Amino acid sequence: MGTQKKIKVLIAKPGLDGHDRGAKVVSLALKDAGMEVIYSGLHRTIDQIVNIAIQEDVDVIGLSIMTGAHIPITQRLFQKIREKGIGNKTVFVGGVIPSRDIPKLKEMGVSGVFPGGTPLAETIKFLQSTMLKR
Amino acid sequence: MELVKKVLQGDEGSAARLISMIEEGLDEGYEAVSLIFPYTGKAHVIGVTGGPGAGKSTLINRLAASYGRQGEKVGVIAVDPTSAKSDGAFLGDRVRMKDAERVKGIFIRSMAHRGFPGGIAKATLGAAYVLEGLGKKVIFVESVGAGQTEMQVSTICDSVITVLTPDYGDEIQLMKAGLIEIGDIVVMNKMDRTGAAEAAEDIALHLAGRKDNDWQIPVLTIQANKGEGIEKLIATLDLHRRHMRDDAQGKFVRKERMKRLVLALFKEEAWGTLLNEVRAKEGFAGIMGKLQNREIDPYRAVRMILKLALPKKERKTARRSKRA
Repeated sequence: MGTQKKIKVLIAKPGLDGHDRGAKVVSLALKDAGMEVIYSGLHRTIDQIVNIAIQEDVDVIGLSIMTGAHIPITQRLFQKIREKGIGNKTVFVGGVIPSRDIPKLKEMGVSGVFPGGTPLAETIKFLQSTMLKR
Repeated sequence: MELVKKVLQGDEGSAARLISMIEEGLDEGYEAVSLIFPYTGKAHVIGVTGGPGAGKSTLINRLAASYGRQGEKVGVIAVDPTSAKSDGAFLGDRVRMKDAERVKGIFIRSMAHRGFPGGIAKATLGAAYVLEGLGKKVIFVESVGAGQTEMQVSTICDSVITVLTPDYGDEIQLMKAGLIEIGDIVVMNKMDRTGAAEAAEDIALHLAGRKDNDWQIPVLTIQANKGEGIEKLIATLDLHRRHMRDDAQGKFVRKERMKRLVLALFKEEAWGTLLNEVRAKEGFAGIMGKLQNREIDPYRAVRMILKLALPKKERKTARRSKRA
């Protein structure tokens, strides 16, 4: 029987931030690049996001954060990821992220940071090459 | 198999992984399904079909939350379309299932249909088995939502709900083959809108006296986003479930549906295998070339490809079996 490995991505909106245009634009771009994208919808807790990632068995979790709380949110995400034993997921972050915070996020385990204005092709290429390496 | 054992013990991560393996068409995945299969057949599998925006996800959200409050363990498989252009998919049904998500023990899985015809994915049935193996007693299957041709959802479900809205059209739409034939229960959603009661009555009149295998399709009015009409719908679902389990006609329908599904799955697998084989054959490119140069017509090209794919003897057998 035919086999098919698709890249599955969860695009998640954590916390109180109600702006999801960016998350939707990225979701559509990934869909158009041949990936299967699950969108979480707004106002998700980290517990919910990790739970969705488990049930949907995604390869990638993409967080869209515009509240300025990207450091504590990402910290909490990795804490929960370790707790649940799903450390094999690739995590990337987008939204309003000052460049000085990018090294901090990468130190936590984030594989890619794509602040607003990043060309969509860059995000797509990053995900495709990361998945190829696995 | 270790993975199957874990699923039967209730491990969500293992169930999720196994569903992916079935989606990817891995032999291991199908072997696991065979091991889980003896544990299945008791859950109430409920299909929800209807056009885009009719309120399928919203209805499942309410139903799942209600069943969950009654202490039932609930699973959801929400199928959305795969893009024919990119092969990608945007799976957005979870967005509307936030109430259901709060129910303890619920498992929701989104699924791209990956080109399978009939409103579900090839892996949807396998996923339903996995969820039952995981301990779910009520399992919802949300179809793609393309409308009239979603017959396949009924083959894997015990009960199918067709969701319509007051702007579904008119009697001409009901007379066409499709939508209204798929469901065991019709719900008129968005009952707060003008014309909803009249539309529901029209449909009920259209269906009156058209008993199908001893079951009269009921028409219920609901407002899914407010949770109105949900309890009555659940009572009707229970009634239909009993019909399918206990009534001779119901049992017959279940068996027939199973047969139809296997033929559809066989068609999918056979098509994939045959296509790969015939593409590799000498002569295939030539036929395509002639077609593109308009030397032969498309129907003739198909007959020539068929001849190439199935040598004479096998072709005869294929024809005979079709007649039988």
